[in-house]
Amino acid sequence: MDRRRNLTGWAFLLPASLLIVLISFVPMIQALLLSLQTGRGTRLNWADPLWYNYTRLLGDEIFKQTLFNTFVYLIIQVPIMLTLALILANLLNNPRLRWRAFWRTAIFLPCAVSLVAYSLVFRTMFATDGFVNDFLGMFGVAPVNWLGEPDTARAVLIIGLLWRWTGFNMIFFLAGLQNIDRSTIEAARMDGANAFQVFWRVTVPQLRPIILLTAIMSTNGTLQLFDESWALTRGGPAYASMSMSHYLYEVSFQRNPNFGYGAALSYVILILVAVLAFIQLRIGDKRDQ
Amino acid sequence: MKRTTKIATVVAMTLPVALILSGCSGGDGGSGGGSGDDNTLTVWAWDPNFNIYAMQEAEKIYQQDHPDFTLDIVETPWDDLQTKLTTLAQSQEYGELPDIFLVQNNAFQKNVINYPDLFSEATDAADFSQFPQAVTDYSTVDAVNYGVPFDSGTAIGAYRTDVLAEAGYTVDDFTDITWSDFQTKAEDVLAKTGKPLLSGQAGSSDTIMMMLQSAGASLFDADGNPTISDNPALEKSIETYIDLVKSGVFTEVNSWDEYIGTFVNGAVAGTINGVWISGSLQTATDQSGEWAVTNLPKLDGVSGATNYSANGGSSWAISSNANVDLASDFLKSTFAGSTALYDTILPKAGAVANWIPAGDSDVYAQPVDFFGGQPIYADVVTFGASVPSNNTGVYYYEARDAVSAAITKIMGGADMASALDEAQSTVEFAMG
Amino acid sequence: MINKLRGVPAYLFLGIWTLFSLFPLYFMAVSATNTSQDVLASRLLPGGELFANIAKLLDAQNVGAAMTSSFLIAAGTTVLALIICSIAGYGFEVYHSKGKDVLMGVLLLAMMIPFAATMIPLFQVFAKLGLVNSLFAVIVPAISTPLLILLFRQSSRAFPTEILEAARVDGLSEFSIYARIYVPTMRATFAAAGVITFMTAWNNYLWPRVILIKNEVQTMPMLIVNLSAGYVTDYGVLMLAVLLASLPTVVVFLLLQRQFAEGITGAIK
Repeated sequence: MDRRRNLTGWAFLLPASLLIVLISFVPMIQALLLSLQTGRGTRLNWADPLWYNYTRLLGDEIFKQTLFNTFVYLIIQVPIMLTLALILANLLNNPRLRWRAFWRTAIFLPCAVSLVAYSLVFRTMFATDGFVNDFLGMFGVAPVNWLGEPDTARAVLIIGLLWRWTGFNMIFFLAGLQNIDRSTIEAARMDGANAFQVFWRVTVPQLRPIILLTAIMSTNGTLQLFDESWALTRGGPAYASMSMSHYLYEVSFQRNPNFGYGAALSYVILILVAVLAFIQLRIGDKRDQ
Repeated sequence: MKRTTKIATVVAMTLPVALILSGCSGGDGGSGGGSGDDNTLTVWAWDPNFNIYAMQEAEKIYQQDHPDFTLDIVETPWDDLQTKLTTLAQSQEYGELPDIFLVQNNAFQKNVINYPDLFSEATDAADFSQFPQAVTDYSTVDAVNYGVPFDSGTAIGAYRTDVLAEAGYTVDDFTDITWSDFQTKAEDVLAKTGKPLLSGQAGSSDTIMMMLQSAGASLFDADGNPTISDNPALEKSIETYIDLVKSGVFTEVNSWDEYIGTFVNGAVAGTINGVWISGSLQTATDQSGEWAVTNLPKLDGVSGATNYSANGGSSWAISSNANVDLASDFLKSTFAGSTALYDTILPKAGAVANWIPAGDSDVYAQPVDFFGGQPIYADVVTFGASVPSNNTGVYYYEARDAVSAAITKIMGGADMASALDEAQSTVEFAMG
Repeated sequence: MINKLRGVPAYLFLGIWTLFSLFPLYFMAVSATNTSQDVLASRLLPGGELFANIAKLLDAQNVGAAMTSSFLIAAGTTVLALIICSIAGYGFEVYHSKGKDVLMGVLLLAMMIPFAATMIPLFQVFAKLGLVNSLFAVIVPAISTPLLILLFRQSSRAFPTEILEAARVDGLSEFSIYARIYVPTMRATFAAAGVITFMTAWNNYLWPRVILIKNEVQTMPMLIVNLSAGYVTDYGVLMLAVLLASLPTVVVFLLLQRQFAEGITGAIK
């Protein structure tokens, strides 16, 4: 019976797995082979040594800059965003809160907007004579050249990411909260726990599977960040805000195409995400026996 | 019960496969972008008010003698067009190519040399002696022509005459001058009117590239080796640019939209760019009649310096998947042979011909109200004949980006020579 | 009284974040009613150009065709992805085993490689199948995503095993348990997954741009980029197009958001 059930379980996984193998793994193997080749355009040869493209990355100043930028985004933006999303979801899950549908919609809306518009609006807002400087000026802050300086350009990109993706993550938490037995929260309240204690000791542990999901998702999304770097800051000034994926796209499509090198770069990204995801799974995927 | 489980499982398993298969038969059989019949050409281009409009007019003209002829024009922005070309070449699916596609002049060499299989020779598509050599050079590889030039990108200096007048100048004071003259006069204008004369995107090297080309210099030598280090014309261009920015007569902004905004909203009283910028200038309808066009200032003390340059511009390429005879004949009868075409597209789209015979047409001598009745297009055609050739090389984009990065560093206080050495090694790395 | 005061920080926090969320959207909406020149001057008041912008947009682009293509792609992707991925996520958790955990980890690898690296081999496959210009070529790669499978797997952890056992005792088949009991219980998760998948499919850009070559199968994001790609951009028209392109996702969210509302009980509580 168990054996039979186990087989049924595998059958449930089959369609999805088959598709992923065909659509992702087959091209991934081709990309792996490509990463061991050098040459321009369609004239490719096996690299000598085979890992030449990977060693080449170590000497690439632009790659190092984009690696640094990407990790700045990861370390600063992801924790802030997930914390905010969790707090917002928790507030919105309170049945006594008024106008919940309004708050929920308003906070979700940014991720429905196309990238082109949002980058245009953000660039306008953070222009030297834009709203943000006008607003800060009221408090006597001197105008900041937001997109013109490396640190502030990265900051604008992070603010953009927070704006667009916090509501997105909040949706997952809201859905997760639906699966939590409300009576456990009421019980904790009865025992005299305050709101923060309930949140921290009752809600968060039960949400752990979803928190893990969003953490893996955000890590993956940030390490593969392309849109914001490409459209919001164009990677500038001078590569100071360019992400790894943006550089990959430049190397593969916009400049003299060097697909072997681009493929090597993708595998570096893959390995970085995989390592971080593995750590997250080890910490977060423990089952309560 | 067990049966239903099995059936359900089988359905779940086969569903995606069935989908792929049904999609397979549902597709159009991959007839591709290239024309299926003898009278249709497929074209990739990107601007409905400019090059697509020009193509549509060319279609009408060609139809007068070939009534069955049609064009199927697909709108694709340049960045995406480049991505598509790369994808098709790399996956060797040449069958999906259109007959004709438009290529940025600066990217032409790169594409022909990396992916020769994308192109057919355009030898029969024009009499290339009727175009300025500086323009056909972009699309010529090993003495073979691969492109029919479309828009020129000839650089213009456009200024607000009312602002100049307020400071006691006319546009003649900005004609045939050097950059140091310009610097003095522009500072005077700034002091008297509070308006800078120029603006541009920080971290973009467009202005410097125009200065460089105006002296016939480039970032590569004849063999394609980068010459970013120890390049006197480049150093002079950067110095000139930095002086402009530091003295406030050149406003740096952070994006293209902001750049357009500076002159459309009247904060800045002029601009230097390819002639195609006149389209954006004219969106400021409230400034009609207050603009004038002249040539560029030239670099001081650089041998070969001129008052002429170019930025942008594009050429039509014939793909390897094309009906080459039809495509060649079409281009030869229109973009390389029809005064009527250029007479139509000039006033409506501001598309200035590269084709020299078109410049003799009366339409070019028509006064343009926005520019105070100046026949600017005739002037631009004259400028175009004097633009020095630009050696873009294959690695133009890499070199330009490296120089942009260097400029950002120099503006931030870094030493020019070492920043340029660094840019040189970045480009050498990319070429390695 | 104390209860009311305790709510104040919550409302303040929500208010500030909502303002932050909505301000750029307000700017977009207002811009759609202004001229290009006014947009560049950051005008914050509604103007009278809405109808002129609509006319210009309809004149310049085939909005109807793009909306249709985008909708077919997004709706098709969403329906198929929800079926395929929920079945898999259910299988991973309900029939949990060590081997399946390993498989999950392996499948996750598929989302970790940047798309730019796998696009060319993928293009080759779809070109060989004759699917260039087919909406299927856009839908198929998007229906089985490790992320969505993981979402269903993680959410299923809250699915009570007692129900499962009870249903088996009642003689329900394994698939019927999924279809009749699991699906209705997991409405909130399905709603979240639906919104996210629809949005992602609707906004997908690079792959559709490369595989959909013909004019008739342009999508809304392509149309928007086309509008900003010329030498002269009309920013009022651009913002209007963006507004139109954002509406369907918002509508889907509004339709499904009741599922996030507190107090809805699943089939079994």
